[in-house]
Amino acid sequence: MLNVLIAGIGGQGSVLAAKILAAAAQARGWKVRTAETIGMAQRGGNVTSHVRMGDAGEEVHAPLIARGTADCIVALEPGEAVRALPYLAPDGLLVCARTAIPSVETTLSGEPYEAEPLLAYLEGAAPHFLAVDEAAICEEVGSRKVANLVMLASAVAASNGTSFGLRGAIGTDELVRAMEACVKPAFVALNRAAIDTAIARVGAPSVN
Amino acid sequence: MRSTLLMGNEAFAWAALEAGVNVVAGYPGTPSSELVETVAKLHAAGVAHDVYVEWSDNEKAALELLVGASASGARGLFTCKQMGLNVAADALLSANYVGVRGGLVLFVADDPGPISSQTEQDTRRFANFAKVPVLDPWNPESGADMMRHAFEVSETWHTPVIVRPTTRVNHASTFFDVPSETHARPVPEGGFEKDPKWVIFPRRSYAAHGEINDRLHEIASEEAAGSFNPLYAYAGEECAPADAGAAPLGIVCGGVSGAYAREAIEMLIARGAQLPAFDFLQVGTPFPFPVRRARAFAAGKTDVLVFEELDHVIEDDLLMLAGRDKLSYRVHGKLDGSTLARGENSVEDCARRIARFLGVTDALPEEPAPDPAAPQAPARPPVLCAGCPHRGAFYAVKRALRGKKNVLCGDIGCYTLGNAKPLEAVDTCLCMGAGITMAQGVAVAEPGTKAVAFIGDSTFFASGMTGVANAVYNQHDITIVVLDNSTTAMTGGQPHPGIGRTLMGPVSDPIRIEAVLEGLGVTCIEHANPLYLKESLAAARRAVDFEGPSALIFRSPCTQIVRPEPRAVVDDDACVGCRVCVEAIGCPAMTMSADGSKMIVDAATCYGCGLCVDVCQHGAISAAVRTEGRVPFAGKAGE
Repeated sequence: MLNVLIAGIGGQGSVLAAKILAAAAQARGWKVRTAETIGMAQRGGNVTSHVRMGDAGEEVHAPLIARGTADCIVALEPGEAVRALPYLAPDGLLVCARTAIPSVETTLSGEPYEAEPLLAYLEGAAPHFLAVDEAAICEEVGSRKVANLVMLASAVAASNGTSFGLRGAIGTDELVRAMEACVKPAFVALNRAAIDTAIARVGAPSVN
Repeated sequence: MRSTLLMGNEAFAWAALEAGVNVVAGYPGTPSSELVETVAKLHAAGVAHDVYVEWSDNEKAALELLVGASASGARGLFTCKQMGLNVAADALLSANYVGVRGGLVLFVADDPGPISSQTEQDTRRFANFAKVPVLDPWNPESGADMMRHAFEVSETWHTPVIVRPTTRVNHASTFFDVPSETHARPVPEGGFEKDPKWVIFPRRSYAAHGEINDRLHEIASEEAAGSFNPLYAYAGEECAPADAGAAPLGIVCGGVSGAYAREAIEMLIARGAQLPAFDFLQVGTPFPFPVRRARAFAAGKTDVLVFEELDHVIEDDLLMLAGRDKLSYRVHGKLDGSTLARGENSVEDCARRIARFLGVTDALPEEPAPDPAAPQAPARPPVLCAGCPHRGAFYAVKRALRGKKNVLCGDIGCYTLGNAKPLEAVDTCLCMGAGITMAQGVAVAEPGTKAVAFIGDSTFFASGMTGVANAVYNQHDITIVVLDNSTTAMTGGQPHPGIGRTLMGPVSDPIRIEAVLEGLGVTCIEHANPLYLKESLAAARRAVDFEGPSALIFRSPCTQIVRPEPRAVVDDDACVGCRVCVEAIGCPAMTMSADGSKMIVDAATCYGCGLCVDVCQHGAISAAVRTEGRVPFAGKAGE
């Protein structure tokens, strides 16, 4: 079983990321189940997408990942990575976006809301950790809307040839093909650029 | 056939289309909305042939329309969320007595948690109360099978049938093989056949009650032998389908809890647990209860553990069976505190309780100790979007009411989020349309208090209009604020009578909210664009100062249906970091710089609505819509 949790904020595109991952797994002939947060929380609240893949041909019963069993968490925001951390498996990989996104509540509190202390904690707490400067990659590609693909591609690259995270189970080519099957034709080139740039950056992963 | 990733609700739609459904009608509500949208999409794409689909004005209208279609021989599918069935209850209970001709299936989505609902009511109980069969899927695949089956049951027994998934089935996705096209079953020639049976009368109802009792008995018997109540025998690491229980221990599940429990059992086995033999029963047809199946399962049992969400429906039936058959098994579930009495079940929770039940707690993973060094995840409740027109509406009305004792009655929709800081503009929220009528109660009980009701455009048409008539008829001193954002925003942007666009393509003339209010006798009707503070404040003052029922219509589109305007810009020389803007309207695009000295507009979040320009007392914020003198979002309809 391969469990991937995508954690973010409503509107960041976690649902599409989950769909792409599911398509890649399906192409391998695996059983797949995904589950989403839909409804009120999508209005800027914290959301998660669960992707469960029977990578050894096994049956997948539950749509949701149990705490402590996510092989990989793809976090689109550091605070959301902290919230999702209890889901990470004992040997799991956390791939986390570097940009902290304040909430109305954090702004109203008057306290600064910054990424660095969160990232510092996550680096020590996650068995395997990679922080991605997703904002820089998005800027290079020319759109902040593709942060979801940047992070997904980073998770694929960071798992390349490893026995943790996605365990090298999904290759870059498979990710690209799944993306092409899931996004509107007009956005394929942009998302392709997001994947390529992210992979080039993570390239030789410095995952600890 | 091609393999496609379908969300549960999409799979239900496909299954109904494959069953030849002719008419689909419903009212949006999370987690049910995607079914109707999928049918409309497939119809528009030329895939689903000859089907008619609509968003009805409300659930009652939808179900009554479908009862009519069924009487003409059409297969009908009704959709709503759990509370929607309360609205349609009158029609359902009577329709069951009159009976159906074309298959009539009610797709009612329950929401354990609750995740996006007012109540944790259980539609299985509702089915029992209404004496209508209910099917309870545990994943999208079983749900699609049940949908097809439900039409057959409905026509065989002339009964409405409820298919009741829960959120984790509605919004879970997996791959399905779908056909290249579907065709609705032709409506029988001749259509409606005149017959006294379509007119409900006490004498007819007495006879019908007997028919209902008889058919429920027959249906229970048939379902007990069918595939929706699977029984498995677990022995060691093996799990095999069985016809009867053999072990003294048993686990019984309803809905998605069955998936959680099976996963939990596999988790315990994988962790080396030596499980004693036990039987596992999934109850997919909870009403009428499949007694024969349960009896076969219960033979020789000493203890039974029940996992189900919402109410203890299966648990009650197992207790009844024990009493009726004088069986000596103990039932462990919600009633004795053995399982969660409310909210969602989970794999983790099932694993703990099953391990205890089977005596294998050693196999449970250790609970990780909380890390005292862990930072707090930020509070991130859902909020009104940047550029949302409701923000300005709430702010203006609250300003207009300063110094006046007031009660702000909210309603169901995105604008319930107006209760959060800093707006805090929703004092009550009950059920669809209740804001207008609750305000009248406040006005009657406290004559000196200004009662203001907020209602969205879609909710206004769904269930606000009778409340307006009541206010005018009884001359209640309230102000009705209609937040018209030209869509049903909370559930994903469905059209409604005030928009004119229908799901079948043709445009009908939009029903004007002003015309409705005028027609119902409201004489004071004010207007404002909520993105302009001064005009909104003046209109709000006129409306709340009026004695008697008054109305104020705020009109500006939901940001989900328009493209953004150029973002607002802060002049750092003029911004004094006073935080007034942040603390007045709480827009998610506004944050403070790290040193707190300046407000920062987040470029990616800001929608350029211009409201903050009016709120700033130092002239430090500018927006293109203001400098260019344009109405925000005019001519910016989304793709």
